[in-house]
Amino acid sequence: MEYLGQCAVDSILLGGLYTLMVIGLSLSFGITRVINFAHGEAIMLGAYGAYWAMTLWNVDPLIAMPVLMLLGGIAGYVLFRILFTRILSAPAANQILLTFGLGLILQNVALTLWSGDQRSANPAYVFSSFQLGDSTVAVGRLIGCAIAVLLVGGLFVWLKHAEAGRASRALAENGEAAVLMGINVNQMYAIAFGISTALGVATGTIMSSLSAVTPFMGFNMLVKSFAIIVLGGLGNVMGSVAGAFLLAFAETAVSYYVPNGDGWAEAVAFAVLFFVLILRPRGIAGQAVME
Amino acid sequence: MPQTRTTRLVSTVFAGLATIAVAGPATAQNLTIGAILELSGRFVSFGAHCQRGLDMAAKTFGDKVAGLKYEYAYRDVQSEARGVISAFGELGGTRHLNYVIGPTASPVVAAAIPPWQQSKPLWLVPGASSLDVENLAGQEPMFFHTYPYAYHYHKSMAAALRRALGPGKKIAVLYSDDAYGRSHMPAIEKYYIEAGFEIIVRESVRTNSPDMTPVITRTAHSKPDILLGVMQTTDSIALAKQIRTLRVKIPYLVGMAATQLQEWQAAVGEAQEGWLGVSTYLPGTEDWPADKTYPKLLPSTKDWEAKFDADYHAAPDYDDITCYANAAMLLLAIQQAGADDKEKVADALRRLDVMTPMGRGHFEPSEGTRQQAFADLLIFQRQHGKSVILYPPEAATGKLVPVE
Amino acid sequence: MRMQASSLLRAIPALLGLALIASAFVDMPQVNDWMFQISMLIIVSVSWNLMASAGLVSLGHAAFWGVGSYASMIAATRLGLPLVGGVVLAVAVGALLGCVLALATGRLRGIFFAICTLALAEGLRVTTVMLPDQTGGASGLYLPQALQVPRTALFVAGAVAAVICAAASVWLARTSFSYACRAMRNNESAAQMLGLDPLRYRMAILAISAGMVAGAGAISTWYGGYLDPDVAFSMHITIESQIASILGGMYTVAGPIVGAIAIVALSEATRLGLGAHEGASQLAYGVVLVLGILFMPRGLYGLWCDLWAGRIAGAGKADDTATEMAR
Repeated sequence: MEYLGQCAVDSILLGGLYTLMVIGLSLSFGITRVINFAHGEAIMLGAYGAYWAMTLWNVDPLIAMPVLMLLGGIAGYVLFRILFTRILSAPAANQILLTFGLGLILQNVALTLWSGDQRSANPAYVFSSFQLGDSTVAVGRLIGCAIAVLLVGGLFVWLKHAEAGRASRALAENGEAAVLMGINVNQMYAIAFGISTALGVATGTIMSSLSAVTPFMGFNMLVKSFAIIVLGGLGNVMGSVAGAFLLAFAETAVSYYVPNGDGWAEAVAFAVLFFVLILRPRGIAGQAVME
Repeated sequence: MPQTRTTRLVSTVFAGLATIAVAGPATAQNLTIGAILELSGRFVSFGAHCQRGLDMAAKTFGDKVAGLKYEYAYRDVQSEARGVISAFGELGGTRHLNYVIGPTASPVVAAAIPPWQQSKPLWLVPGASSLDVENLAGQEPMFFHTYPYAYHYHKSMAAALRRALGPGKKIAVLYSDDAYGRSHMPAIEKYYIEAGFEIIVRESVRTNSPDMTPVITRTAHSKPDILLGVMQTTDSIALAKQIRTLRVKIPYLVGMAATQLQEWQAAVGEAQEGWLGVSTYLPGTEDWPADKTYPKLLPSTKDWEAKFDADYHAAPDYDDITCYANAAMLLLAIQQAGADDKEKVADALRRLDVMTPMGRGHFEPSEGTRQQAFADLLIFQRQHGKSVILYPPEAATGKLVPVE
Repeated sequence: MRMQASSLLRAIPALLGLALIASAFVDMPQVNDWMFQISMLIIVSVSWNLMASAGLVSLGHAAFWGVGSYASMIAATRLGLPLVGGVVLAVAVGALLGCVLALATGRLRGIFFAICTLALAEGLRVTTVMLPDQTGGASGLYLPQALQVPRTALFVAGAVAAVICAAASVWLARTSFSYACRAMRNNESAAQMLGLDPLRYRMAILAISAGMVAGAGAISTWYGGYLDPDVAFSMHITIESQIASILGGMYTVAGPIVGAIAIVALSEATRLGLGAHEGASQLAYGVVLVLGILFMPRGLYGLWCDLWAGRIAGAGKADDTATEMAR
C-alpha cells in the first residue's frame, strides 16, 4: 500500500495531539465526576497565553508552557473551590450547563479582550521537518507528541506515588471509602481539577503554533475529546490515551485511503464511538466506573 | 403535582411577556438603516470590521440625511442562520425597515435570503462570493451586491495565471467541505479549464481539520504545478503552515480572499511567501483620487487610510473599506432621493457614479446580478513579506515567481 | 391538591394555550417571532425533560431536529410535499430514529447514553455534508417559492404543535407512565424487577421525544426557508433544550415551559440590548446561566414553589433538595 509509512507517522503525531487534548478532561472526570464543557476554553486560554508570550516578549511557547500551566492550575483550583463545590451533588445536567455557561463567558471575554482575529504563533521549529525513510516528520507536531508522552508519564507517576495522587485514585475508585479514610474530598477534587486545567493549558500552548488561535477554537475540539474519553472508558487516563491513538489511526487511514477521505474522517470518530459503545459499553479499557 | 402553582406561575410569566412585547420597542420616527452583522460567533472578524467602516462613514457624513435624523440599527446575528431570521423579522416588523447593510459571510447571507424576501428592503450585501446567493437573489431589483462572486475571483485568477504561465499547467484544488468551498467549484471547473489548465485533483477538506498532512501528501504525489486552496481564513492558516512545514514541491500556491488579510499574514509568518491571493483592496497599494463632488465623504485612498488610522489606530482591511463605501453610497442615494422612500433611493443608487476610496462606485449588471459594484479584483503574490500586484496588467508591480 | 383546585385555575393552562395560538393572528411580527421561538423551544425542552425524567440525559437533540428538518425539506424540494405532510413525515422519521436509537443503545445509561446521542448528532451532520447529491450538502437547500405558506400559518402550526406537546406531557405525567419513568431514572434493574420492561418504555419515550423534536425541526425549517447541515444539526438546539428544562425546573411539567419562555426572553433581551457590542450578548447569556445554576439549582419553578410556600429557602436547603433529586 502506498503512503503506509507516512500514514503511520501522521497517526502517531496526531495521536499525541489528541492525547494532550483529552488527558486533562479524562482526569477531571475520573476524579470529580464533573463533565467539563469549559475544558476547551482552558486550551483556548493556553493558546492565547503562548501566542502573547511569543508576540510581546518573544518567549518560545515551550518556555512559556510551565509558567502558563502553573497559572492555569491555580486558576482551575480557585474556580473549583468557588463554583464547583456548590454543585457537586446536583444532577449531571446541571453540572454540564454550569461548565457550558463558564465556557461561554470565557469565549466572549477572550473575544472582547483580543477581538475575533485569528492568530498563530510561529516559533522557528514549527516550519521544520525531517525525512524518516520515505516519510516526512513535522517537528512542531513531534514536539507536541513528546510533551504528551512526558505529561502522561508525569501524571501516571503522580497518581501512583505522590500522596495526593494516591488519594485521588482512591477517590476515583471508591468515593465513600475515601471519605471514611479521612481524605479531604473537596481539597482533592480541586487539586485534580487544577491539574486538569493545567493540562488543558499545555495543550493550548502546543496548538498555538499548529492551528489558528481564536476565541472559539476550544469548542470545536471538545466534542471529539468526549468521543475519545468515552471510547477509552470514562475517567480512565490510560484508556483515554489508547482511545486517542485508536481514533488518530482510524482518521488518518480514512484520510489516505478513502476518496475525499479528509471530509469523511470527521465522521469516523462518531462511527467508531457509536459501535464501541454498543458492542462494549464500558469503553476499550473496559474499566468504567459509572453506575 | 400542584397544578395551582403551575398555572399561576405560567400565567404571570405570560402576562409579563405580553407587557414587554406591547410596550417594548417604540416605533422610531427617524430613518433607520438596518446593520445586520456577525458581531459574535465564528465570523465576528468580518462583522466587527464592517461595523468600523459603517461607523466611520456615519461620522463623516453627519447625523442627518435628507433632513431626517438617521441611525444604524445594529443587530448581532451571532454568525447563525436563526440570528438572521430573527433580525430581519424584528427590524422588518417594528422599524418599517427600508434599508439593510450586511451580513457578510456566505453561509449567513445564504440563510438571510428567505427572511429578506418577506418584505424586500433595499439590501446592500458587502460580502458573500457564493453563487447560490446570486442564483436566488441576483435578479431582484432591491438586491445590491458590493463584493465579487466566485466567478470574478476565478476569472481574474485564471487570466493572471494564464498570462504568466501559459496554458497546459496542472491544477490541484483543495476546497473546504462547507458552503464556501463547494459553491466555488462550478466557477473553478469553468474558468481554469477555459483558460487552458487541467484540473487533476479535487479534494474536499473538512473545516477545522486537525491535520491536513494526508490530503497534502496525496495532492503533492500527483505533482501539480498549481495548488488552489479554496477555504476560509482558519483553514487557510493551517493549510499554508502545513505546506511550508512539509516542504511540498508545488511551485505555485493560490489562496483566496484570506491571503490579503493581515491576520492571515501574521498568523502564517514565513509560510506566506509565494502565496497568491485576490482582493478588491490592498492597503497602501492603490491610490484612487478623491471624488470631485463629495471630497469630504469620499477622499482619496491615502487620505482615507490616514483618517482610518487616526480613528482606529489600525490598518484597514477590505471589510472596513467596503462597508465604508457601502454606507457612503447609500447615504448619498438617500440624500439625492430626498425622502425615506426605498424605490426612489434604489433609483438614485442605480444612477450613482462616484469615486470612492476603493475605486469607482457604480452599479452595473454582472453574469447573474442586476446591480453589482466593486467586483474589480487585484491578483497579487506575497513576495518577501509584501504584496506584489500581478494582474490586471496595467496595475502590475511585479512578476509571478515560483515558491523557492 | 389537584382535587381541591378550582375549575377556573385548572382552565388557565388551556386558556394560555389558546392565547398562544391566538397570538399568531396578531399582526405584530416581533411578537409573532418571539412566540414562534418560544413554541419551538417549549417542544424541544418538553421532549428533553421527558427523556431526562426517565434517566436518559440527551446531548443529541440536534440529531432529532436535523432529521426532521431534512425529511421535510427534501420531501418539499423533491416531491413538493406541503407543510402538513412534511411535518407528519418528519414526526414519523424522527420517531423511527428514536426507536433505532433505543434499540442500538440497549441498556446504556447516564453519561454513556448522553455521549452516544452526541455522537449520533455529529455523525449525521457529517453525513449530510458529505452526501451533497442527496441532501444539498453544505450549499444548503431552499424551500421552493411555490410551496411557501403565509407566515401566519407557520405561527399557528408552531403554537399548535407546542400546545399538543405540552398537553401530551401533562397527560403523561398523570398516567402510570410517569411512575415507570421515575423508577427507571432511579434504577433500571429495580424497575425491571417491578415487572416493567425497560426496553419497551425506552422505545416509547425515545420515539415520542424524537418525534416531537423532529416535527418542530420541520416547522422551523419552513419558517427559515433555508437548510444546511450546520443549521439542521446545530449544537444550540441540544444546549437550549437542556438550559430551558434546567432553568425552568427539571422533572416537572411546568419547568420546561417556564424555562423556554425565560430563555427566549433572556436571549432576545441580551441580543437586542447588547447586540451592537461584539460578544456582549453571549457573555451576558453565559453569566445568567452560571448564576442561575448556582443559585437556583431547582430552577425557576423550584424558586416559585419556595416563594409561594412562604419559605424562602436558604442555599443549604436548596442544595439538600438538589441532592435528593440527584439520587
